[in-house]
Amino acid sequence: MNLQIEIDGESRQVQIDPAESAGRWIVRVDGEMVEADARLLRPGVLSLLLGGRSHRVVLDGDPSAPALYLGNQRIPCRVEDPRSLRSRRHSGADGPVVLKASMPGRVVRLLVEKGQDVAARQGIVVIEAMKMQNELKTPRGGRVIDLRATPGAAVASGETLAVIE
Amino acid sequence: MIRRILIANRGEIALRVLRACRELDIVPIAVYSDADRAALHVLEADEAYRLGPAPASESYLCGDLILDVARRARADAIHPGYGFLSENADFAQACEQAGVKFIGPPASAMRMLGSKTRARQAADRAGMPRTPGSVHGLASLDEARSVAASIGYPVMLKAAAGGGGKGMRAVSREEDLSSAFDAGRSEAQRAFGSSEVYLEKLIEQPRHIEIQILADEHGHCVSLGERECSVQRRHQKVIEESPSAVVDQDLRRKIGEAAVSLALAAGYTNAGTVEFLLDKNRNFYFLEMNTRLQVEHPVTELVTGLDLVQLQIHIAQGEPLPLTQSDVTLRGHAMECRVYAEDPDNGFLPSPGRITRLLQPGGPGIREDCGIYEGWVVPMDYDPMLSKLIAFAPTRELAIARLRRALDEYVIGGIRTNLGLFRRILRDREFCAARIDTGYLDHLLGGQPAPSVDGLDSVPAIAAAVLEALQPAASAATASSVNAWKAAARREATGADPRL
Repeated sequence: MNLQIEIDGESRQVQIDPAESAGRWIVRVDGEMVEADARLLRPGVLSLLLGGRSHRVVLDGDPSAPALYLGNQRIPCRVEDPRSLRSRRHSGADGPVVLKASMPGRVVRLLVEKGQDVAARQGIVVIEAMKMQNELKTPRGGRVIDLRATPGAAVASGETLAVIE
Repeated sequence: MIRRILIANRGEIALRVLRACRELDIVPIAVYSDADRAALHVLEADEAYRLGPAPASESYLCGDLILDVARRARADAIHPGYGFLSENADFAQACEQAGVKFIGPPASAMRMLGSKTRARQAADRAGMPRTPGSVHGLASLDEARSVAASIGYPVMLKAAAGGGGKGMRAVSREEDLSSAFDAGRSEAQRAFGSSEVYLEKLIEQPRHIEIQILADEHGHCVSLGERECSVQRRHQKVIEESPSAVVDQDLRRKIGEAAVSLALAAGYTNAGTVEFLLDKNRNFYFLEMNTRLQVEHPVTELVTGLDLVQLQIHIAQGEPLPLTQSDVTLRGHAMECRVYAEDPDNGFLPSPGRITRLLQPGGPGIREDCGIYEGWVVPMDYDPMLSKLIAFAPTRELAIARLRRALDEYVIGGIRTNLGLFRRILRDREFCAARIDTGYLDHLLGGQPAPSVDGLDSVPAIAAAVLEALQPAASAATASSVNAWKAAARREATGADPRL
C-alpha cells in the first residue's frame, strides 16, 4: 500500500506491506526500508518496536486536527488523500475570506452585519470559551456576504462563521 | 461534629475535598450544573444535586441555590474550594445565618482582607513590609500624580477589588499616568463593580513568594513554609514549588512571622495564603492575602506531610491546631504543573471538547489531582484547568527529573493542552538553575520556539502508516478516527483556508 503522509507539515512517501510473520510490517519511508513490529493495544494506542526501540504511539482522535502522540510529543500527522492535494493547489489567495472559529465556544456578539463593508483587521465576531473572549478579525477588507454566527449559539472549532468577499 | 459536607465546587478541587471527606468518614455531597451532569465529582460523590444551567452565574455562583441544597441534603458544612464563592464574604455570612458551617475564615476577616487597599492598611497595623504607595483609593488624577511623584516611577496602578491582573497597569512615565488612570478605573468598574484604584511602587523582576498559614478558632496560627510561583503567564500561575530555591531558613522565618501577624490581626481562621513579592536584594513586600485554599496547596502538603483539607475540616469543627510552629519542618522538594485545556501553538486559546485518550502518569513521587476521564467532554463554560501534576523528591533537581519523566508518560488526546509547554520549561537551563522571576515565562515564550519534531526521523510516518494499514482489523473507533483524518484533510483542502 502506498501512502502520502504529512508529518508536521512535511510530506513523506510511505510504502507499507505485511511481512511474513504476524504483527510485522515492511515499511519504506522515502525509499528507506525498516521492519516494524506493531501491536494495537486498544483503539488508537499502538506499541511499535523498531529495531529493538520501543515506541508508544497514541492517536489523538481529534478529527479537526489529526495528530499522533509519540512519548509526550504531539505531532500533527495527516494521511493525505491525493484529491485533496490537487484541490489545495487551486485555492489561491484571491478568493473570498472564510472566517472560521479558532476554538470551540459560544458566540458572544456580532460586530458587523451581513452586507456591510469591512476593512482589513476589523473585528467580525466575538467567541467566548472557558472565561476567555476571542475577537475574530478579517485579514482582508471586503463585503460580508455571509454571516452564519448567531449570538448565544455554540460553535465547533473550524466552523465557518462569516464569509468576506 | 461535621458529618455531611456540601462541596460547592467542581473539577479537581471538588474531587480533592471529596477524598478528604471519605478519609474522615464524612458524607461528601456534590452539586452540579447542566454542563457537569457527567463530571467526575458527580459520579464519585455519595449524593449529587442539580443547581441550574451551565453558566456559573446560574449555578456555582448562586449562593441561594447552594444553601437551598444544603438545607434539603442536611449538610452540616459547606466547603467552597477555590474560585466561585470561596472569597465571597456575603456568602460566608449567609451560611453562618443559615446555621451551616462555612469551611473558611469568618466574613469579617474576608471583608478586611478582600479589598487590596484595606489589606494594605491591615499590613501596616501588623507592622508588615509592603510596597510603598497609597493605602486608600485614589480620589483624583492629581492625587495619583502626587503619590507617583513621592514613590518614584515606575509605578503599578491596581484595582482595590482586583484579581487576575484586571485593572492593573504598569506606568513608567508621568505622561502615561492620566490614560492609565482612566483606563484602569473603567476596567475595574466593569470587572468588579468598583472603580477604586491605588498606586504602588513597581518592583522590578520580582519573584512571587507566598506563605501558607493555618489558624484555628482559638487564636493559634502557624505558617507552613513558602511556595514560589514565579512562573506565570498573564498573572496566572503555571508552575509552583516548595521550598523556594532563594528562601533560606532565616528569611522563611521572617516572612512566616509577618504572615502570621497579619492573620492574627485580621481575626483570620482556617487556611489562607499571604502573597509577597521578593526583590533582587531579597527584600519582601506584602502583595495580598487569599482567604481560601489555594490551587497549589499540594506542594505544601508534600513538603510538610500535612493534609490541608482535613485540617480545614478539623479547624471548622472547632478543634485546636494539632501542631505548633516548632513542629513544622519542611522535607524534600515538591513542584506542580497546572495542566490547562489550552493550545500553546495557537495563542493559548481555550480548547474544550471530548477527551478521546487519557494515559495518566504514576510511579514514585508522582501525585495527580484531576477531575477528568477518558470520554468526558471538557465543558466550555468554566476555567480551563484539567489537572495538577505534582512531583515530590529529595531535591529540586530530582523533582524536576521526576516531573519530566511523568510528563513523558502523560497523554491527553482529543483536545489541546499545555503539557508540551511544561516539557519545554523543565528542560530550560534558566528554570533548572532557578533563575526565574515573574517575567520569566514571557521571556521564554518570546524567544526561540521549541524544536518541533527532533530525533524521531521516520517514526511518526511509520506509525501513521501502520495505523492506516491496521484500519480494517482495528475496531470501529480506530477506523473512524483514521477516516476522520482524511475527512479533515478534505475539509481543509476544499474550504479556502485564509490561514488566519
